[in-house]
Amino acid sequence: MTRKTYKVTLCDGPTCIRNQSREIRQALEQALEKHSLSQRTEIHLSGCLGMCSKGPILIVNPGYVIYGQVTPEDMGEIVESHLAGGQPVARLIVKEDHLYNRFFRIFGDVDFFGKQMRITLRNCGIIDPENIDDYLSVRGYEALAKALTEMTPEQVISEVKKSGLRGRGGAGFPTGLKWDFTAKQPGDEKYVICNADEGDPGAFMDRSAIEGDPHTVLEGMIIGGYAVGARKGILYIRAEYPLAIQRLEIAIEAARSHGLLGERILGSDFSFDLEIRLGAGAFVCGEETALIHSIEGSRGMPRPRPPYPSVSGLFGKPTLINNVETWANIPVVVLDGGAWFSTIGTETSKGTKVFALAGKVQNTGLVEVPMGTTLREIVYDIGGGIPGGKKFKAVQTGGPSGGCLPEEYLDTQIDYESLAKAGSIMGSGGMIVIDEDTCMVNIAKFFIEFTQSESCGKCTPCREGTKRMLEILTRITQGQGKPGDIEKLERLGEMIQKASLCGLGQSAPNPILSTIKNFREEYEEHIHQKKCRAGECRALLKYTILDNCVGCGACKRACPVGAIDGTRKEKHVINQDLCIQCGQCFEVCKFNAVSKA
Amino acid sequence: MVSPIDMIKKKRAEAVSRIVSKGYLSTKRVYVGMATCEIAAGSKEVMAVFKDAMAKGLTDVYLSQKGCAGRCNLEPTVEVVEEGKIPVKYGKVTPERAREIVDRHLKKGEVIREWTI
Amino acid sequence: MSKTITITINHKEYQVEPNQTIMQAADKLGFHIPRLCYHPKLSIEGACRVCIVEVEGMRTYVASCAYPVSDGMKIHTNTQALRKARRDIIELILDNHPQDCHTCERDGNCELQRLAASMGIRARHFEGQRKRYEKDLSSDAVIRDPEKCILCGRCVRMCSEIQQVHNLTQAHRGFHTVVMPAYDMPMGESVCTTCGQCINVCPTAAFVEKNYTQELFEKLNDPDLVKVVQFAPSVRAAIGEAFGLEAGLNMEGPLVAALRKLGFDYVFDTQFSADLTIMEEASEFLERVQSGGTLPMITSCSSAWMKCLEQFYPDLIDNVSTCKSPMSMHGAITKTYFAQKKKLDPKKILSVAVMCCTAKKYEAARPELLVDGMRGVDLVVTTREAAWMIKSAGIDLVNIEPEEPDHPLGLSSGAGAIFGTTGGVMEAAIRTAYELYTGETLVDIEVASVRGLKGIKEGTLMMDGKEIRVAVAHGLGNAFGLLDLVRRDPEKYHFIEIMGCPGGCVGGGGQPYAQINAIPLDDEVLQKRAQALYDLDKAKTIRRSHDNPDIQKLYKEFLQSPLSPVSHKYLHTHYQAKRPVGIIPKKERKQSGAAQ
Repeated sequence: MTRKTYKVTLCDGPTCIRNQSREIRQALEQALEKHSLSQRTEIHLSGCLGMCSKGPILIVNPGYVIYGQVTPEDMGEIVESHLAGGQPVARLIVKEDHLYNRFFRIFGDVDFFGKQMRITLRNCGIIDPENIDDYLSVRGYEALAKALTEMTPEQVISEVKKSGLRGRGGAGFPTGLKWDFTAKQPGDEKYVICNADEGDPGAFMDRSAIEGDPHTVLEGMIIGGYAVGARKGILYIRAEYPLAIQRLEIAIEAARSHGLLGERILGSDFSFDLEIRLGAGAFVCGEETALIHSIEGSRGMPRPRPPYPSVSGLFGKPTLINNVETWANIPVVVLDGGAWFSTIGTETSKGTKVFALAGKVQNTGLVEVPMGTTLREIVYDIGGGIPGGKKFKAVQTGGPSGGCLPEEYLDTQIDYESLAKAGSIMGSGGMIVIDEDTCMVNIAKFFIEFTQSESCGKCTPCREGTKRMLEILTRITQGQGKPGDIEKLERLGEMIQKASLCGLGQSAPNPILSTIKNFREEYEEHIHQKKCRAGECRALLKYTILDNCVGCGACKRACPVGAIDGTRKEKHVINQDLCIQCGQCFEVCKFNAVSKA
Repeated sequence: MVSPIDMIKKKRAEAVSRIVSKGYLSTKRVYVGMATCEIAAGSKEVMAVFKDAMAKGLTDVYLSQKGCAGRCNLEPTVEVVEEGKIPVKYGKVTPERAREIVDRHLKKGEVIREWTI
Repeated sequence: MSKTITITINHKEYQVEPNQTIMQAADKLGFHIPRLCYHPKLSIEGACRVCIVEVEGMRTYVASCAYPVSDGMKIHTNTQALRKARRDIIELILDNHPQDCHTCERDGNCELQRLAASMGIRARHFEGQRKRYEKDLSSDAVIRDPEKCILCGRCVRMCSEIQQVHNLTQAHRGFHTVVMPAYDMPMGESVCTTCGQCINVCPTAAFVEKNYTQELFEKLNDPDLVKVVQFAPSVRAAIGEAFGLEAGLNMEGPLVAALRKLGFDYVFDTQFSADLTIMEEASEFLERVQSGGTLPMITSCSSAWMKCLEQFYPDLIDNVSTCKSPMSMHGAITKTYFAQKKKLDPKKILSVAVMCCTAKKYEAARPELLVDGMRGVDLVVTTREAAWMIKSAGIDLVNIEPEEPDHPLGLSSGAGAIFGTTGGVMEAAIRTAYELYTGETLVDIEVASVRGLKGIKEGTLMMDGKEIRVAVAHGLGNAFGLLDLVRRDPEKYHFIEIMGCPGGCVGGGGQPYAQINAIPLDDEVLQKRAQALYDLDKAKTIRRSHDNPDIQKLYKEFLQSPLSPVSHKYLHTHYQAKRPVGIIPKKERKQSGAAQ
């Protein structure tokens, strides 16, 4: 049997059939016959590939070259040029839908992926991240080559500007503008930094992106270096991500050996190299000035801006610093054009955003959606809603810097402005779904506990203020809240927001202020009625034994403090003065005769 | 002078032929998720089962690792791709399930519906 | 002249220079924005957030110490919201601070206290847990009290930017942040040079000197002891400030009188032993020049510098003069010559030094400096401690009748006086070395090139046709800069003076705290103190150390001649490399690596 050289997949979905896919197949077979390639080519028919607007679709493998809107007449050219000559037919390749090119690969999971759009994660879960050949085969480093061949640095920057891409680290600063500032600074010594110091609890967008497709980040950085005139790039990644680090090392080594890093990249005049620096996992080192201090070997503490890193950054030199997700967008912007990129998303926020969906939701995981998708679509369509028939209470975005949005905000569109207006932030991509079993005071306490312990300790509002907020919240959850506590939290929170040195401090009160705003009644119940409606604050629970108690004595035996009294076969009673709310009686009762409220 | 774009196209062609020479055009391609999350869920053991099967004579299969596709609650994931067919994704794959996937899907072509995502 | 820009502060328009911060512009316009972590000589920290102001159009408040003015900027420095925020910030600092003002050393001279008062904090809203730390009493000179630290970071910046010793750093995070030496090393075992500059810039009592006032009062009341005191040149130029007097007044006469009233039997002057130091040091220098000894020779008067040398520049130990410091020479002569002359048992002499310096406390305890098994100087108190003792004893320094120091260890030349300021030792040494070498009289004895506050100063001197190149550095950071030059080019200089503190001893770590609304280590104050010493020099008829008749007498009766065996026994010392803990030199690192 002859070894097959190519596999050609033809979409056999209803739309494509209507668009002559059957005729196309005949034409293809004839053309193959003509070039004596029939033996060496396999033709497959596939079900709908979900790219109906571009149909009929024809895919040539290896290489994943996708041809769209092909006609029977095109088959001769495709066979002659591509299958026989090795040169794909450029005019027929589906270009704009670059990101969809490999989308059919994750088909079959429509609920989860149907509303997603994968740009940043376009190769994640598809290619072998440790093999540069896989990346090259999916047009890897072509954006870099394009920039080096036909674009000046100014043109690259203008393309990034045109794309409308904004920083994915959370603040949403226009990326093109940042590049422009850095490029315009005088001097030959400039740096490019990738901020991979992902630290929000429960967020792992960057880790996944690097582990799944490290070369994309590298390619973005090399293009960035070319655009701003830097010769050196640094990947700052936390040491807790050993696999991501290992894959980056493999990727950098492979890129060097292919002449994609180092002197005279791809034969051009541009030289650039990358280095990995490990962070020790301080949350604050995600703040750009603290990160730069950390690279310089100092304690990771932010400093006041201005000057911004684009003017005076690493070692006092102009420095372009973007986060992983931002960098991963760059090859797409360059290859497919800023104009195309800017068609995705909303008026002010372009492209897609990756979220780490977690909490009380069916499908936890990593999702990438176009800007403008609503929270409801993410929670219910992609996330599959709340498990166990529980009631939705809130969705928390932006991690410890973000806020909790209740049901009435579910139709908020995902973009920087809408989320801010609703009282939360885009953040770096944490998204936690909260159901009725979660106490909002407790969740606010969880986040402030995090920021409090991760505060660098430099500025007073964050160092001292978050501690006091945590103390007040702890008191409230333990049933020792006092009238006036809410006002104190608001007063401290507003001061910390406005007076702190860096973004960490300025956003630290957000979880508290947003829960006070949207769930004030829960705070008031805790303080005035000593009640936690979610039943999470143990100290506020009251256990009582109901009339259906059969007097088995199980609870009495289980109680560690001897707070339960009662004779056998008679209803038992809990002595509330002794009860420590441990919940043992509730656990052991086989008759549901212990109530917890 | 060769332009960077020409160089990268050449590199891509070479990369493709290297991938092909590793058996990419086999009837079935098996991808095992190997990100930190997947490894934590047990994908290394799953990968070992497939490697072992290939060492013991399973042919016409191309085995590769991949990153995380985002299905955290269903990891480890294994994907079986056959050209022209909708790819089959298995979730919560254990070494036992992996052995069955080898026996039933890869050898006999039977898609094990109840484990797919 | 650059073009001015227009800014609005509190609704009024002003024309100001561009390229300055809001705080700088406001200061010049008479708006004093409250501040805490800011210090004009240190880098901008932006940490305390006390100096926040509102800039229209900004989402948050900005730190005026860091934020630059721009044209059309509308600034508010005193809105109700700002006042409330500032108040709350200060309260948050207070809430995590020991509430022991009454018993605190800085009571009445504490920046935090003053700031709290000016904010009108009359109630506490946010009290909660407070940090608890043990005091670090391990050092002979500098006490660290992390409980009182408010984390403004001035000490850290002083230690790393001006002194460049990098001993202090913030450690841990958030609420647990604390300033400490690396690895939480006790101060006494750390690379701390005991210069005490952290004390000078600390707004609270997180750093203070080791206090010997109680011990001294006790001993002053011991009838069995003969109490002898010496005081450093720069003490007289600064102690007045502790009594509310303006900077730069020479308080020598009142201080002598006050010390006598405190109970000292003999009040001597360190300026006398400064003259003695010059005799020995100038002779040592000439000997090195003539016999091809190690050059450049580096002075050894500053004890913080000596510790610094042993830790960081052990390769230059041979370059350093073997002369003890004037204080230690004085102590040695007190316990020998003076004791013999007065027929006293040296063990019954209490030798006390009032110093502008905290490092002298460390120096006095150095075992290398023992005199016949005894300490030359038994107790060192700083200018601050002395001022407190004088006040505590009810002595009115300001209105007291001035008195003269005692003989035979109290008479000094003008050269001895200028020891207290940067460049002074060099100038004094030149006066004597020139004349000893050439046999001629130096006409122009004021050496302008080594005066002033420039970090590194250079000068040349022709001695019998031989060019002598000298250099002077003050502050350890400048010293590092100069010594690195020496390491690269050992021929560059012949003679180098190094003083550990900015401005020399007038800026010592033991000098009075900055007065209310003054800035610690303000250049103007340093210059005034220095000027007091230069004026003192000018007013003296004897301006050269070798012309001091009591010095001549001392040589005749006891020491014989400079560099004599007696001199060597009592006036000279030696140094040895002291490796900072945790630092292993490359050579040994390899060996220990191989052993593993």
